[in-house]
Amino acid sequence: MLARVGMPQGLLHYNYGILWERFFQELGLEVIKSGETTRATLDCGSALDEICLPAKVYYGHAAKLNNQVDYLFAPRVISVNKGQYTCPKIIGMPDMLRNNISGMPPVIDVNVNLRQSSRNLYEAVAAIGKIVGKGKVASLYAWYKAWQHRNQPISKYSGRVDGPQVALIGHPYLIYDRQISMNVIEKLRHMGINVVTPEMVNASEVAQASKTLGKKIFWSSSHHLAGAAIALLTAKRPVDGVIFMTCFACGPDALIGELISQRAQSINIPCMQLSIDEHTAEAGFITRLEAFTDMLTRRWPL
Amino acid sequence: MIISFPHMGNMHVVLRSLFAGFGCEVMTPPPISKKTLELGAKYSPETVCLPFKMTLGNFIEVLDQGADTIVTCGGVGPCRLGYYSEIQKGILNRLGYKFNLIAVEPDLIDALKKLRLVSSGKSWLEIYHSFKIAGAKMSAIDNVERQLNFIRCREAFRGSAEKIARRAIDSIDEAQDIGRIREIADTAIGELKEVKQINNIEPLKIGLVGEIYVMLEPYINQELERRMGEMGVEVHKTMYLSDYVRAHLLKKKEYISLHEVLAALARPYLGHYVGGHGLKSIAQTIHMGQQGYDGMIQAYPFTCMPEVIAKNILPQVSKDLDIPVLTLSYDEQSGEAGVLTRLEAFIDLLKYRRQRKAAQLK
Repeated sequence: MLARVGMPQGLLHYNYGILWERFFQELGLEVIKSGETTRATLDCGSALDEICLPAKVYYGHAAKLNNQVDYLFAPRVISVNKGQYTCPKIIGMPDMLRNNISGMPPVIDVNVNLRQSSRNLYEAVAAIGKIVGKGKVASLYAWYKAWQHRNQPISKYSGRVDGPQVALIGHPYLIYDRQISMNVIEKLRHMGINVVTPEMVNASEVAQASKTLGKKIFWSSSHHLAGAAIALLTAKRPVDGVIFMTCFACGPDALIGELISQRAQSINIPCMQLSIDEHTAEAGFITRLEAFTDMLTRRWPL
Repeated sequence: MIISFPHMGNMHVVLRSLFAGFGCEVMTPPPISKKTLELGAKYSPETVCLPFKMTLGNFIEVLDQGADTIVTCGGVGPCRLGYYSEIQKGILNRLGYKFNLIAVEPDLIDALKKLRLVSSGKSWLEIYHSFKIAGAKMSAIDNVERQLNFIRCREAFRGSAEKIARRAIDSIDEAQDIGRIREIADTAIGELKEVKQINNIEPLKIGLVGEIYVMLEPYINQELERRMGEMGVEVHKTMYLSDYVRAHLLKKKEYISLHEVLAALARPYLGHYVGGHGLKSIAQTIHMGQQGYDGMIQAYPFTCMPEVIAKNILPQVSKDLDIPVLTLSYDEQSGEAGVLTRLEAFIDLLKYRRQRKAAQLK
């Protein structure tokens, strides 16, 4: 029987999940994913206290896999870009899992730290291979094979509708998680809105736009969010509105949301902050979305 | 150029002396008050951590009084502190303040460049000298406060130790040369030792860990140290301003090796630095648990990222080392009575544990 590796579908899974899944398959392991977030995931995740919703969701996913797998894949992703960090909560995640879930299978919590040098990635790949009993060459070859699939888009949405264009700015693990985001992308499209997400803005545009910031943002995902938002706001045909979606107690977002709303206000583009947590009720959420989109539709075309 | 800076405990004494030595006109922000808190909270993002709101409040108040240059700190993450200055500048500009913000990054060349901005016309020797005096003031104040924390829980008449320490800090603030500063501190420590004490008491020993701003700023932490001292608890604060400066800015050898020891202690629970003082909170809890402290208090601002991680790991540490931990998270809504009640309950619990242990020994 193949060894089973469990992959919690939360946090950075939305960015790198496809890649890692492929990697383990190339290594000849069976990958068991925790599936989409459900109400039960949220209930289970509430074991963690005071922390942001996506961290609780991740915890819920990991706890669900607990008894089904031989290895739990929860790498400590410290940095994915030079000079930047991911987020303290992502860095501390493997430890929070280990100290709160009893009877865990072996956790693959290899450090991935590209803050100083991108070569660390290969060391990390080899270290992961070692834990599951594979040689260095086999692991690196599997990684090479998996790397070919890196460009698969996260978002499955496409096609334009005739209506105002809104930049939906938020972390991938928030806006693409249909449970906690209340399926916001579908809802907006249903209301006749063209949704643009940060993933649709490419890295070079982000780099260009973020030059206008006084200081480089040291969280890589927030750097992308802010850069994408500024790029969309200052494009030749700017977006008609911005929705900044965040979850309660997200550290970086508290600052980045302020930054984006300052920018949007200075050029008179409507900007709404949507903050959600596990208690958010759908009716209130829809009302706010409707109010915002109604306002945009009335202004459109100018 | 009228230069100013944010408050944090007694830091204003140190910074005022430093900038005055550079030949700048210095303006200390008004002491933190309810108004500071309200101003700060009003213009800050809702869920940002408390130090952001408080320092923004300081800036607004001092700019209203006429300061035109603010010196604050930068950082490289992953704690939010490193990005404060950028956002605060945006907020203050939008409020219509015209001023110059100097964010000192933890990088030697950058720091020297910014230093030159505020110390024009002074020789390096004079600059060095003013650093020396500021450093002496910082160590003197911290030494007095350490002694105060030791005596306060033992004093026979409430407030007698506090009075001596306050007076000493005020004279340190005014003193101009290093010899005099040390002399004041030594006399004050001598006087503190002479304070009439209650005989034969063995106070509870509690370690205080957490985030530096909340630990150092008595207005924010509801005077945690004084209250605990008056309840008869010997408080060991694990971080003073001088510790922070020596460890993070000067990177002194003994602090670097101490950090390695602490990281090794924490490794089974938290395997990597998570920014701020999260790792230290866990390591110190383990360390003090091994040393037989009665309990630990973790104090931090609500939504502080590194401390929230520590908080979610501390229950396991507490269980393994058999040391109770109370976490206090502060925001602008924190009420005095709530904190007091929790402290009293915690101290009662610790007293009971001690009695039970003594009974078991018999």
